[in-house]
Amino acid sequence: MKLARWTAGLLAGLSMLAMAAQAYAGEVRVTVAEYSSKTGPYFEEVKKEFEAANPGTTLKFEVVPWDVLLQKLTTDITAGTNADLSIIGTRWLIDFVQQGVAEPLDEYMTPDFKGRFIETFLSPSIMEGKTYGLPIAASARAMYYNKELFEKAGIANPPSTWTELQEDARKIKAAGAFGYGIQGKEIETDVYYYYAMWSFGTEILNKDGSSGLSTPGALEAAKLYKSMIDEGLTQPGVTSMNREDVMALFKQGKVGMMITAPFMMNQIKEEAPSLKYGVAAIPAGPTGARGTYGVTDSIIMFKNSKNKEEAWKLLDFLFSTEQRAKFTQNEGLLPVNKEEAKMDYYTKDAGLAAFTALLPEARFAPVIPGWEEIAQITSDAVQKIYLGQGEPEATLKDAAAKANGVLKK
Amino acid sequence: MYSRALPYLLILPSLFLAAVVIFWPVYDLVQISTHDVSRFGQLRDFIGLANFAALADDPDFMAALWRTGLWTLSVVAGALVLSIPVAMILNSDFYGRSVARVIILLPWAVSLTMTAVVWRWALNGESGMLNSALMGLGIIDQNIQWLASASTAFPMQVLIGVLVTVPFTVTIFLGGLSSIPDDLYEAAALEGASGWQQFRTITLPLLKPFINIAIVLNMIYVFNSFPIIWVMTQGGPANSTDILVTYLYKLAFRVGKLGEASAVSLVMFAILLVFTMIYVRLAMREREA
Repeated sequence: MKLARWTAGLLAGLSMLAMAAQAYAGEVRVTVAEYSSKTGPYFEEVKKEFEAANPGTTLKFEVVPWDVLLQKLTTDITAGTNADLSIIGTRWLIDFVQQGVAEPLDEYMTPDFKGRFIETFLSPSIMEGKTYGLPIAASARAMYYNKELFEKAGIANPPSTWTELQEDARKIKAAGAFGYGIQGKEIETDVYYYYAMWSFGTEILNKDGSSGLSTPGALEAAKLYKSMIDEGLTQPGVTSMNREDVMALFKQGKVGMMITAPFMMNQIKEEAPSLKYGVAAIPAGPTGARGTYGVTDSIIMFKNSKNKEEAWKLLDFLFSTEQRAKFTQNEGLLPVNKEEAKMDYYTKDAGLAAFTALLPEARFAPVIPGWEEIAQITSDAVQKIYLGQGEPEATLKDAAAKANGVLKK
Repeated sequence: MYSRALPYLLILPSLFLAAVVIFWPVYDLVQISTHDVSRFGQLRDFIGLANFAALADDPDFMAALWRTGLWTLSVVAGALVLSIPVAMILNSDFYGRSVARVIILLPWAVSLTMTAVVWRWALNGESGMLNSALMGLGIIDQNIQWLASASTAFPMQVLIGVLVTVPFTVTIFLGGLSSIPDDLYEAAALEGASGWQQFRTITLPLLKPFINIAIVLNMIYVFNSFPIIWVMTQGGPANSTDILVTYLYKLAFRVGKLGEASAVSLVMFAILLVFTMIYVRLAMREREA
């Protein structure tokens, strides 16, 4: 029995368990991703406020860690026991739309409601002319640099090109720290490589829709990172470090430069308040091209929801300026709401301003089915290159062929 | 007639339970693995064995298959070799034996995931305990990046696998050792047999059924063991520490290929079925003896 529980029960057992959960009238169930330890308490408060204002409606929030969110949704949907609303990564949205799981929201949205959003962040959730999700969280990436290490190494300004970044990394290495932190493990390993790739003029997908990995720009970027690893300009053991590991090194003052999300500012405030750091744009390539990674998470309504009216009321409540500001500032994200973006909190903060300045150059994960698989293929390829297990050119060509195979499906 | 039907009637309830817990999920898996299936489990066209063929063509799957064999064999063999002397020491009479037994068996009570998380911290290249301990002892003069490549990560994972398998194996062997009567050893000692001779001709043969059971139970358990490898490397870098379970998880819940993932789990099920049959035969022979 033990045997079957492990192998076969993986998919089937979960669905049996879930049968017990039934929807009650007037109850809105919401699956929310856990951004930080503040996420749960925030939604607890939402529950209190919303239920007080809307007697007869009860809210039930399920807070799920990001790592297992997609797995939970997959099993829930398979068993037909999904919640009414859920936060998802916008990059997954196309799968939900194609499978007919997500409900279009346009008939609920008034022009006034639509006008609340910053266009850049709402557009990734619009597919085939219909809005399937609302951007509940938005983020972008920029370069953090350690001012103290820069001073020690005799560098005046943060690098504006990758060549300068390489130079600066050498100087920081000479000063006894790691120059540029590279993430080489787990989620977003591929994205860390795209930062360089975009600067060399390559996009994830070529204009004809094929994978960009076999272009010269992709090769340049791979060679750049590989040469920096070989020269010892990065932290050692790149492929054993996930994003949080590199961020930990930066907070300890061991890494001169790294690219990551705005929420690290909140973390530094709490964990390393004495760290002197700055936020700058992502370095540009030889032609001046550069790109940052833009991410939005969407909250979607499921087609099989039985309480759509109440669910919409909750969405309306969540996207009020006041609620948005609370959530965004808690989690260290970027504002998605126009009114919210005008608040002093965002305009007066140099770090956040640096992030918002990069937004026009933000690339979002391409909206294609099978995107997760392509991300996985790319991560595997760059790991091989970082480890020296494959020649950059051959490895990238191989990965491009695999990615094209996925794209053709 | 009545008496012939009775045994079947009596096993009917447990058969029904087995059907719900085992046969139905397996049937479901066969369904999923032979169909084109959406990422949310909706079945589309019947595609026969195409999912299995896709697996056979996938070098990562084949590599994971071989690595699973290597992983299972080395963890089980390592645990066995380590457990026999430990069990023999714990079986002999010495002051504080019960404390020693508790210390050996205690790791069993800690969740495997927690053990793996602790080891992941300990093996961190820059701030890990292992590196600073080795540095302090003067064994290394430069940090080793344990989890950065499979050549160091996988042996460490096997080592941890061995450590967490030892308590269970020792428990089985302790049961076996206590069933060997002391007078055998006394007689042998009287005839002038050395310790090694006693071990080879008395302990080992009488312990054999227990060793067999330990091998089969550990095989099944280690073969399916997910947390150690998942927590430490997620099968990476570049799939170089993947075993079948971690590969299956990525296939199903990262990439969303439920069809191929179900095919992997059927392959695993088939392999384990062989082991279980061996186990049943061993258990039967045990009873006859």
